Amino acid sequence: MKKMLYLSLFTCGSLLAGEDLDALKEQITQQQLTVQKLKTQLKVLSKRQIQIQQEQKSIQASAPAVNTSASFSQNAYLPDIALILNMSAVSRDVKNSDYENLAIPGFIDSGNAELPFNKDKGFNLNYAEIAMHSVVDPYFAAFAVFHIEPSAIEIDEAYVQTTSLPYALRVKTGKFKSDFGRINSQHQHSWNFESMPIVYDAFFGPEGISDAGIQLQWVAPTDTYLMAGLEAMQGTNDQSFGYGEENNLYIGYVKSSVDVGEYLSIFGGASIAHGQNNENNMKNSTNVYGADLTLRNQLGSYSALVWQSEYLYRNKGMGSRKDKQAGLYSELIYQYNNNYSAGVRYDTITKNDTDLSSYTSIDTNNLNKYTTMLEYKPFPMSRLRLSYAFDRTKIIAGERKDIHEFMISLNIAAGAHGAHNY
Amino acid sequence: MKRIILLAILLTEFLFASVNVDTTYTTAGTITKKIGGNLVKVTVLGSPKYDPHFIVPKPSLIAKLRSADILIINGAGLELGWLPPLLRAANNAKIQNGAKGFLDISHYVRLINVPKTVSRAFGDVHAQGNPHYSTDPHVILVMAKAITEKLIAIDPLHRSSYSKNLKEFTKEWQDYLQKLDAKMLICKDKKVVQYHQLFNYFLKRYNFEIYGTIEPLPGIAPSSKHTVELIGMMKQNNVKKILQDVYHERKTAPFIAEKTGAKVLVIPHDLGADGSKTLQEFYNKIANRLCQ
Repeated sequence: MKKMLYLSLFTCGSLLAGEDLDALKEQITQQQLTVQKLKTQLKVLSKRQIQIQQEQKSIQASAPAVNTSASFSQNAYLPDIALILNMSAVSRDVKNSDYENLAIPGFIDSGNAELPFNKDKGFNLNYAEIAMHSVVDPYFAAFAVFHIEPSAIEIDEAYVQTTSLPYALRVKTGKFKSDFGRINSQHQHSWNFESMPIVYDAFFGPEGISDAGIQLQWVAPTDTYLMAGLEAMQGTNDQSFGYGEENNLYIGYVKSSVDVGEYLSIFGGASIAHGQNNENNMKNSTNVYGADLTLRNQLGSYSALVWQSEYLYRNKGMGSRKDKQAGLYSELIYQYNNNYSAGVRYDTITKNDTDLSSYTSIDTNNLNKYTTMLEYKPFPMSRLRLSYAFDRTKIIAGERKDIHEFMISLNIAAGAHGAHNY
Repeated sequence: MKRIILLAILLTEFLFASVNVDTTYTTAGTITKKIGGNLVKVTVLGSPKYDPHFIVPKPSLIAKLRSADILIINGAGLELGWLPPLLRAANNAKIQNGAKGFLDISHYVRLINVPKTVSRAFGDVHAQGNPHYSTDPHVILVMAKAITEKLIAIDPLHRSSYSKNLKEFTKEWQDYLQKLDAKMLICKDKKVVQYHQLFNYFLKRYNFEIYGTIEPLPGIAPSSKHTVELIGMMKQNNVKKILQDVYHERKTAPFIAEKTGAKVLVIPHDLGADGSKTLQEFYNKIANRLCQ
C-alpha cells in the first residue's frame, strides 16, 4: 500500500515537473525574442545618435550657433516709442472764417488767437504725435514729443533729465512744459476736456508755458509730500512775456499733498512766474500767480470723484499802466468705471482791469464758459469723448457771441506709451 | 556724563538704524518684514483692495519713495501703469531701475503664460508672462531668498540676522507647505473659470483645470457675447466654480452662476485683499474657498 502511494506520488510529481519545464522553455524563447527586439532597437538608436552627432558637426561647421548679424545690433536699446493720434468732428454755430478771428476782450485781439485744436466746423485731424522716451546712461534719461500737425512739425518737448543726483534733486533741461500750476505740464491728450481752461488760454495760449530752459526740483525728506521747483526759461510766450532780447522768465512753485483717510487725497500747489514783456515796445515786467487744488476721492479700484480747480492772477506791465487780470476754472470728474467717465467744467474771468476802449459798445463782463463731457474708453489706450461747450467769452465778427459747440473726439495712444502723472 | 549720553545715543542710532524698504504689494512686504525683523521699516505702496495694475498714483506715494533705501517690485509689467512716473518724481537715485536698491522679483521666478506674440489686439497682455506669481505659495520661498539677498547687499552689517531669519522662515514655510499640499490633495472638483488670469499660478500648482475667463481678453470688460459663450462652455464641461477677485465688478459672475448652477468664490489676490493678516491666512483663504 505504502509503495503504491509513493509510486503515484512520484508519477504525479514527474508529470507536473514536465509541465513546468515546458512553461520554462516557453518563457526562455519569449525572453530571447524580447532580447532580439531590444538589440535591433539599440542598433536603430545608436545609428540615429551617430546621425545626430554628424548633423551637429555639420551644423557647427557651416554656421555659428548665434545670428552673426547681431554682433553690432543695438535693437535692445531702442527708445520707447508711442504714436498719439487726436481727431474730432465739431458742430458749432459760428462760421469757420469768423471763428478764426475770434477775440477774448482784454486778452486776445481778433486775428491773434492760436487755434491748434478742433478749429474747424466739421472734421479735424488735430495732430499725430511721436513720443519717445529712453534711458541715456546711468545719469540721464531723455524724452521727446514731436508734434505733427497737418501743415507743421514742431518739437513739443525735448529734454534731458537727471536720474541719479543726490539729496532728491533733479535737473531737467531742453524744451519742456513748465510745472507751473496744475494743468500746464499736461499734454492735450491727457486733459479732461478738449480745450485749455479759458484763463490759461487767455494768459498763455493753448500750449501753456512751454519753452527752452532749465528746471531744478527737490522733494523734501518728509512723510508728507512736499516738492519745490525753480525754472529759468527763455520766456517766448508773448501773451504774457515775450521780451525778445534775452531770457526773461523765472518760475517757482511748491506742491504738497496729504491723504485724509484711505480714500481721499488732497493735492495743492502755489506757483509764481516772473517775466518780461515787450508791450508798447518797452521792457515791462509780468507777474503771474497761481494756486491749484485737486481733491480725489477713490470710490473703488476703477471709480473716483475728482475735483480740480485753479486760480490765476496776472499783473502785467503795459508801459505806462499795469493790467490786473484773473480767472479760474473748476472741474468735477466722475469716473464710473474703467470704461466710462463724465465731467463738467466752469470757466470764468474774475478780474479784467485793462484797456477795453476798443469794445465800447460791447458788454465785456461775465466772461464765462460751461463745458460738459462724456467719455468712453474701450481700453486704456483709446478714448472716445462727446462734449458740449457753452462759451460766453468770445467776440465774433465784432459782436459778443454765445457759442454752442458739440464735439466728438477720438484719441489713441499706441505703442510704448508711459503712464501719465497723477 | 554728556559724552556717555551722546555715545549711547549714537550707538542706539547705529544699532537701530533701520533700512527703509518700499514694496509695491503686500505679500512681498510681509515677507520683507519676516526677513528684516526690527532692522527694516517696510512701506507697502499699493493697497490690496485695488487692482494691482491700476494703483492710484497719489502724490503721497512720492514721499514714500523719496526716503526708501530699497524698492521691491513684483515686475513683469504689473506696475507699468502707475509706478514709473512716481519713481521719476521721487528723485531717489538709490532705487531707480538698475540701481543697487532696486529689486524686481519677477526676475527670480519662472513665469508662465509667456505669449509667443505680443500685441494689444489680444488685450492687456504682459510680454514677460503672467505677473501674478505670488498666488503660488511655493513661490514665497523664491521671493524670500531674493529679498534676503537684496537686504544683505544693502545692509551687509546685518548679514547674519537676515540669513538666520531666512533659515527660520524657510523651515516654518516648508512645514506649512507640507500641510497645505496635503490639504489640496483631497480637494475635489478642480474645474474653474476666473475673472482675470489672476490665479493661474495657484491653480497650476494644484492641478486645477482653467476653463476660461469672464473677461473676453485681459483688461477688457465682459461682453454679453463672450458671457453667453462662457455659460455654454461651462454647462458642457460641468464647471461649477467661478473665481471672483475683490476688485472687479460683481455683477457678471453671479449672473453666470445663476445660469450654470455654479458657485461664485471670492478669492484674494494679495495678502490683505480679503482681511488676511498673515501669509498663512492668505493662502488658507484661497485654499479653503477653492475647496469648499
